[in-house]
Amino acid sequence: MLGKIQKALSDNSAIKAWIIRHETIHGFQQYELKTSTESQREINSELYMVDVLCDSTNGEAKPGSGLGTVSILPGGDIESAIEKAVLTAQLVHNDPYDFAEPTSIQDIDLVDNEYLKDPSAKIQGLLNTLKETTSAFPHVRLTAAECFGEEKYTHLISSKGINVTQNDTQVYLQWVYIGGSGDEEVESFAEVYRRRIEDLDLDEEAALRAKYTSDLLEAEGPPSYEGPIYVQGPTLAVMVAGEMLAGSLIQTLSSAALKYSGETPWDIGKTIFREEVKGDDLNLWANRQLPYGVPSSAFDKEGIPAQRIALVEDNKLAAFIADQRFADYLDMQPSGDFGSVEIPGGSISQSELKTEPHIEIAEFSWFNPSPVTGDFACEIRLGYIVEDGKKKPFKGGMLVGNLLDALADMRWSKETGFYGNYLGPKAALFNNLKVVG
Amino acid sequence: MGKNLLTPEMSALRPDLGKAVSILEGKAPYGAVSLSSREYTRYLVDNNQERVIPGEPTAGVIFSAFDGHTMREKGIGGFNRDELLKAAGDFVSGFSFGKNGKLDPGVERIEDFQTEMENDPALVSTQDKLDYLREMNQRVKNIDSRIVNARVSFLEMREKTVYRNRAVDLAQDVQRVHMSIMVTAMGEKGVVMDWTTKCGSAGLEILSFSDEELEKLVKNAVGLLSAERIEPGEYSVVTAPGVSGVIAHESFGHGVETDMFVKERAKAANYIGKRVGSELVNIYDDPGYPGAFGSYFFDDEGLPSKSTQIVKDGIFVRGITDFFSATKLEIERSPNGRRQDFTRKVYPRMTNTYFGSGDMSLDDLIGQVDDGIYIPKISSGMEDPKGWGIQVSGHYGFEIKNGVLTDKMYAPVGLTGYVPEVLESISAVSNDFDLSGGYCGKGTKETVPVTDGGPHLLMKVRLG
Repeated sequence: MLGKIQKALSDNSAIKAWIIRHETIHGFQQYELKTSTESQREINSELYMVDVLCDSTNGEAKPGSGLGTVSILPGGDIESAIEKAVLTAQLVHNDPYDFAEPTSIQDIDLVDNEYLKDPSAKIQGLLNTLKETTSAFPHVRLTAAECFGEEKYTHLISSKGINVTQNDTQVYLQWVYIGGSGDEEVESFAEVYRRRIEDLDLDEEAALRAKYTSDLLEAEGPPSYEGPIYVQGPTLAVMVAGEMLAGSLIQTLSSAALKYSGETPWDIGKTIFREEVKGDDLNLWANRQLPYGVPSSAFDKEGIPAQRIALVEDNKLAAFIADQRFADYLDMQPSGDFGSVEIPGGSISQSELKTEPHIEIAEFSWFNPSPVTGDFACEIRLGYIVEDGKKKPFKGGMLVGNLLDALADMRWSKETGFYGNYLGPKAALFNNLKVVG
Repeated sequence: MGKNLLTPEMSALRPDLGKAVSILEGKAPYGAVSLSSREYTRYLVDNNQERVIPGEPTAGVIFSAFDGHTMREKGIGGFNRDELLKAAGDFVSGFSFGKNGKLDPGVERIEDFQTEMENDPALVSTQDKLDYLREMNQRVKNIDSRIVNARVSFLEMREKTVYRNRAVDLAQDVQRVHMSIMVTAMGEKGVVMDWTTKCGSAGLEILSFSDEELEKLVKNAVGLLSAERIEPGEYSVVTAPGVSGVIAHESFGHGVETDMFVKERAKAANYIGKRVGSELVNIYDDPGYPGAFGSYFFDDEGLPSKSTQIVKDGIFVRGITDFFSATKLEIERSPNGRRQDFTRKVYPRMTNTYFGSGDMSLDDLIGQVDDGIYIPKISSGMEDPKGWGIQVSGHYGFEIKNGVLTDKMYAPVGLTGYVPEVLESISAVSNDFDLSGGYCGKGTKETVPVTDGGPHLLMKVRLG
C-alpha cells in the first residue's frame, strides 16, 4: 500500500512535496487488581499518515505554501484521501517554506530487545516483580497496577529523498500503594514511562513509594515557610522537564514557532532569566539522541534527524527549537522535535545540598506552572520539614513561586540520574521559595 | 436514522456482530463486540500561520469477553468483514472462563442515535471554516495594539460507535465541536495570555462570539500584564460556574469513579450515606445533558445515558460506574463506562459533572462579600481521591470589596483545601448555570471529552 500511496502522490502535479509515515503498533496491556487480573488486552493497529505541501495564494494573490495532512487506514481509499489533502493544502495560506532535505540519520537506541523476546510474558513478569518487591514492605499493600508494553515500527519516505525506518519500544507502569486502615488510609500513586523495562528502576522506585506511603501516615499539616527547598528524583525531573507527554516551560519558550509569532521574550545570546543569577549557572541541552529517552527518535515526523542541541549556555539562550518551516522563516538550522532535557551535574553532592533547616518536597499533587510565565502555586502531596537532624513529614499547602526565578537561584547536585525525559542532577536546592500552609 | 450514521465499513460489518457475540459467548459468560471510529480535525488561524491538522484517526473492532472476574479484550485496527468471525473465535480460544449467570446484558433494545445539528460541520467546506477563523482573528487582533497574537482554533470530533451484545444493538454518531480564542500580550513582565471557549455536542451553530465577549477577553489578557500575586491566606471566594464545576470534578467526580473503590483508592467509599458538604451541595453527572460537550446517547458498554445524583443536599449518595466495577461492587450500573478509543480499556469516567443551582441571584451572592476574591476561570485542577486534598489553579481572580466586584486583578490564584471542609464552607449558591468543556484524563492518559459546571458558589478557602 505504501507504494500505491507513493505513486499517487508522485503522479499529482499539484503537490510540491510530500511525506508518508507508515506506523504499525503491537501492544499488550494488563491491569491488576489486588491479587487478581482485572483485564488483559492486546492491540494491533496500522496507519499511513500523509503530508502534502502545495502552493497557495491568499486573497491578495500573495504566493505562499499550504500543508494538507490525511491519515489512511489499510485498505482505505488512497485517491480520495490525497484529493482531500491537496484541497486543504491549497486553501491554507502561509509564507513559503519547504519540507526537510535528506541528511544522514544516526541510529538511536530505542528498543528493549529483552521485551521483544516475549512481550506478554515480560509484562506479566514485570507485574510479578512488582508484587514480589512490594512484599518486602509489610506496611503497604498493592491494590492496583497497570502495565503496558508497545512495539512501534515507523517507515518514513518523502519526495525529497528521505527513506528511513525506526523501531522503538515503550513500557508504562502504574501502581497504587495503600497504607494504614479505615478512615486513616493513605495512598501513593506511581506512574512511569520508559523505553526499556530495566530503566524503570523498579526496586528503587517501589522502595521510595513505600516510604512515601508510610510517611504520609505520619504527616502533619503544612507549615508556612520561606527559604531553601530541596527537591530530588522524578519530582525534580517534572519541575525541569515537564510531564512526560506534555513538555515544559523551557520547551515552550524556546520554540521557534513562538519566536516567529512574537510570543516568547527569549532571544539568542540573552539571558533566559528575569533576575540576576544567584546560584549555579544553567547549561541545558535539548537532546533527542539520548539513548532510551522517551522523547528520543532517530528522525521526527518530518524526517529531521536526532540532534543534541545546546539550548542554554551560561544562562543565555543558544538556540531555538525549530521544525523545518520555522527554521526556513527564521533562517536557522532545523532541530526537529525537542527531545529530553539534559543538564550537567553540579559541583556539590546531594548530602552537601541538604543544609538545614530546609523543606523537602517529595511529591506535588501536580506541578503545573503557567506555560508562558512560569508562575506556580502547586499543592504539596508530601513534604518534609528538615531541621535539627530530624525529618518531619507534612502534607497539604502550596509551593508558590516562579519557575524561571527559582532556576536562577538554586544549586544542582553532583550526582545525576535518568528519568525518561530528563538526564541531569538527581537533586537541587532552590534557595528561596515559599510554602503556604 | 440520520444520514451517514456510520461509515460504510462499519455498516457493512454490523450485520455480522450478532454472530461474533455468539462465538464469544460460546466460551465466555458475557461477550460483546464494539465498533469504534473516532476522528478529529483541528483548524487554526493566528497572526502568523494557518493550519488544518487532522488527528490520527482510530478505528477498530473490540472483542470483550467477561466472566465477572477478568475482562479480556482484543482491539483490532480497521473493519475487516472477512476476518471478523475468525478473529472472534481465535480471540477466545486461548482463554478459559469461569461460569457466571449474573452478568446482565441489559434490556433488549435496537436503536440508532445521532447528534441533532443545525449546521453539520461535515457539510461545511474547509474554505468556509478557515474564512470564519480568519474573520475571528481579525476581529480580536484589532481590539488592542498590545496583542501580539490571537490564536483562533476550531476542533471538530466525530465519534461513531456500535455496541452489540446478546440483548442490545445500538449505534450512535456523536458530533462534538470546540472553539477557542487565545490572546497573547507582551509586557515588561513577559508574556501573558487569556482565552475563551465554546463547545458542545452540536454543530457549528453554537460557535459565535459577540463583540462584548471578545473585548472582555482582550481586556483581561492585557490586565494580566499588571496583575499582582495574591497574598496567601484564607479568603471568601466566589467561583464562576466553570470553577465550581472543576471543584465538583476534582472532589466528587474522580473520587467517586468506582474503579477507585475497588482499588481502595477512594475515601468516599467510606462515606456513602454520610455528610460531605453543606446542605446546599448537590452534585450530578449526566451523560445525557442536551448539547453538552461530554454527552453521548449510550456509554461504551451499551448502557443508555441518564443522570446520576452523586451528592444530595450534602450527603454522598453513590458513585459512577463501568460494568466491571459495578459487578465487583454489586451495585447498580450507571452509564459512565468510557474508553478513549479502541486501543484502550473502559473505565468509569465523568461526562458532564456539575453542582445543582440554588435560588440566589449572582448580585445578591456577591453582595454578601465584604472582602473576598472572585475566580472567573481555571487553568487546571487535580484530584486526590484518597487524601481528599484539592488543587484548582485559577488563571486569575478579581477583588471583591464591600459587596462589589472591582477591576483589581490577581494572577495566578491557586485554590487548595480539604474536600469536606471546602464543600461544608459553601454558604450560598446562585440561580444561574453554565458548563465549560475540556478534556479529562486518568493519570496522564485515557483522555475523554467532559464538561464541568454549575452555578456560582460562595465558599471559604485557602488561596495562594
